[in-house]
Amino acid sequence: MSIREKLLDFKRRLSDRKMYSIVVVVIASVAIWGIYQYKHAANLRQELDNQYNRAFYDMAGYVNNVEVLLIKSLISSTPNKTAATMQEAWRQANMAQTNLGQLPVSQQVLANTSKFLTQVGDLAYSINNQNMDGKQLTDEQYKLIEKLHGYSVSLEQGLNDLQTQLTTGRIKWGDLANKGSKLFQKTSSEMPAEQFENIDKTFQDYPTLIYDGPFSDHMTSTEPKGLTGENISIEQAKQKVIDFFGKDKVEAVTDVGKDDYGQIKTYSFNVTFKNVEKEQNANIDVTQKGGHILWMLYNRAIPSEKINMDQAKELGKKFLEEHGYKNMVDTYYLKEDNTAVINFAYSQNNVTIYPDLIKVKIALDNGEVVGFESKGYLSSHSERNIPVPKITIEQARALITSKMNISSAGLAIVPTDYKTEIFTYEFKGKLNDRDFLVYINAETGKEEKILMIINTPNGVLTM
Amino acid sequence: MKTIKVLLILVLVFSIAIPLLFSGQVFITPIAEKLTPGMENDDVMKVQQRLKNWGYYDGSITGSYDLKTFLAVRDFQRTYKLPANGIVEKDTLESMGLTTFAQSGAAMAASKVSDEQLLARAINGEARGEPYEGQVAVGAVILNRTRDSKFPKTIAGVIYQPGAFTAVSDGQINVAIDPKSTVVKAARDALNGWDPTNGCVYYWNPATATSKWIWSRKILKKIGKHNFGI
Repeated sequence: MSIREKLLDFKRRLSDRKMYSIVVVVIASVAIWGIYQYKHAANLRQELDNQYNRAFYDMAGYVNNVEVLLIKSLISSTPNKTAATMQEAWRQANMAQTNLGQLPVSQQVLANTSKFLTQVGDLAYSINNQNMDGKQLTDEQYKLIEKLHGYSVSLEQGLNDLQTQLTTGRIKWGDLANKGSKLFQKTSSEMPAEQFENIDKTFQDYPTLIYDGPFSDHMTSTEPKGLTGENISIEQAKQKVIDFFGKDKVEAVTDVGKDDYGQIKTYSFNVTFKNVEKEQNANIDVTQKGGHILWMLYNRAIPSEKINMDQAKELGKKFLEEHGYKNMVDTYYLKEDNTAVINFAYSQNNVTIYPDLIKVKIALDNGEVVGFESKGYLSSHSERNIPVPKITIEQARALITSKMNISSAGLAIVPTDYKTEIFTYEFKGKLNDRDFLVYINAETGKEEKILMIINTPNGVLTM
Repeated sequence: MKTIKVLLILVLVFSIAIPLLFSGQVFITPIAEKLTPGMENDDVMKVQQRLKNWGYYDGSITGSYDLKTFLAVRDFQRTYKLPANGIVEKDTLESMGLTTFAQSGAAMAASKVSDEQLLARAINGEARGEPYEGQVAVGAVILNRTRDSKFPKTIAGVIYQPGAFTAVSDGQINVAIDPKSTVVKAARDALNGWDPTNGCVYYWNPATATSKWIWSRKILKKIGKHNFGI
C-alpha cells in the first residue's frame, strides 16, 4: 500500500463518527494536560525568579551595610567600638557572600566579587580579634580599610545599576538559569552575565591584600618548610616509591605524570602489587624536591577487622620510624570501613607540635599501611626554637575555670587560622561529663582556644 | 475490534500522560508548618532576621517568639494584606521568601543528609565511572573550594552553587548510590584530608567541556577522564 492510499484510508476511517469523537477527546485531553504543565512550569519559574530576586536584593543590602560599617570603623575612636563594628562587618560580608552564591550567574563571572567579600570578611575578623585585645588600628590597616571601602562603593554602584534593570524587567533570572534549555536560549540575552562581568572587572585590578587572614594570598605562597633536600629525577622518585612499600610487595610502578605548578611539585605514580588484583592499586605522589612521600592511597578491599587500635597505633609509629620520621606521637584517630586513620604529630622536647601532622591509614585486617598524608608535616616541619614559658603551669591552670576538672597538662605548639603558630599550655579536662581541651598562651596567659572532645566508638574527634 | 484498538490507544495515551503529570513535580514549601508565640527554634530566628532586615523588628535575634516578634509579624502581615493574626503560617513564610524546594519521591531527603553523604552523592553524580583516585580527587576539589575565597564556604554552598556542577543541574546528584560503589569511601578519604589534586579548585572533562574559559586554567593533574587545574 502506498503512502497515498494509507492516507486516504486514514481519512476514511476518521470520517467514522465514533473514531472522530475519540480523536477529539484525545486531542483535548492532551491539550488540557499541556496547558496544565505549562502553567505549572510558569509558576515554578516565577517562584524561582522570586528566590533569585530575594538573594540578589539581600546581597545588595548586605553589601550596602558592609560599606557603611567600613566607613564607620574608620571613625570609631575606641578599640572596643572598632571591634564591634568589625564583627558586624564580618557577619554582613559573610551573608552577602552566601547570597551571591545562590545567584544563577556562572562562578567565573563572580569570582572576584566573591573574593573581595571574603577578604573584607577576613580582614574584619582579624581586626576584630586584634582590637578585642585593646590594640588600635595601625596606619596600614587604616589605609587598607579605606581602600576596601572604595571598592565596596563601586560594587554598590554596580549593584544599583543592576537593581534598576531588574525592577524594570529587562533582566529575568529564569532566562539565565534556564540557559541550558533550547526554549529559552533565544530569549535569553547574555546581558545580566555581562553586567556582572562589568562589576567584576572593576575588581580585577585590585591589589592582593596583605594581612593575617586565613585566605590571605601571601600566606599560601610561603615556601613549605619541611620540604628539604635536593631535586630528584623521576627514576630516583620511582625508587623511593618501591622503598616506601617494600621491594618484595611491589609488582610494578607506572609513571602517571607530574605536577609542575602546585605549591609542592610532585611526580605521580600508580602502583600494583604482587598477588593482588589489578583493580586494587595504589596512587602515590613523591615530591620533586627531596623525594618525600606527599600522599598515598591504596584502594584495597578490607573485609575484616583483626587488630585493635593499640596495635594499629604501634604499627603506625613503627612504620613512621622505619621511614625516617622520628619522635612522632599519635594524637587522634578515626575508625571506619575496617581502617584506622591515625594522626601523628611531631614532638620536640616533650612539646607536641600539632602543625607537623602526618596521617597514617592502617588496614585493620593485616596492619598494612593503606594511606599516608604528610602535607602538614612538609609545609611546616622544622626544628623550632622553643622558648622558656613566661608563665608557669600553675599560673596557667589558675586561669581556667575551677569548675573544670583537669586530668592532664602539657606544652604544645598549635596552629592558628592565620597559618602562624602559638606556644601554649594544653589542658585536658572534664566539665559536666564532657571532655575539653583548653589552650592557654604560654607567653601571655591569653586563652587561645577551647576544643570539645567527642569520644565516639569510632574514634576521638574534636570540635 | 476497532473499539478495542481505540481503547488500547486511549489507555496507552493516559498511562503515559498520568505518570508524567505527577512525577518529578517540584513543590516549593515553607521552611516550617506553623510558628506560634512561645516557640523557640532556628526558624523563628530566620523570621526575626528577615523582619529585622526589613525594619519591622528592632529586637535582637534570639530565636524565641516573644511579644516583640509577634507585633512585628502582625505589622508585616498588615503590609502584605495577609490575615493579621501574628502567627507565622504558610502564606506569611512564603511572603518572606522562607521556602525550600521539595521534590515528590525519593529526592526529598537530599537536603537533610550530612556532609559525608552529600559529598558522596556529588562524587556519585560527577565521577562514579572514574577510578578511585579520580573520585577522591573530585571530593577534594569540592573541599578545596570551601577554603578558597572565590567560592562559597560550606560544602552544600559549593555543591549547590548554580551552574557549578552538571550533576547538580541535571539531577544526577540524586541518583542512588550503588552499595558496591566506592564513592562513600572516597568521600571519607577526601574529608580526612587526602587530596590527589594537590590543591586544585577546577576540573573538567576535555572531551565534553564546552566552556572556553575553563581551558585558561593551569592543568596540574590528569586523573581518569578529568583534567584538574587551578
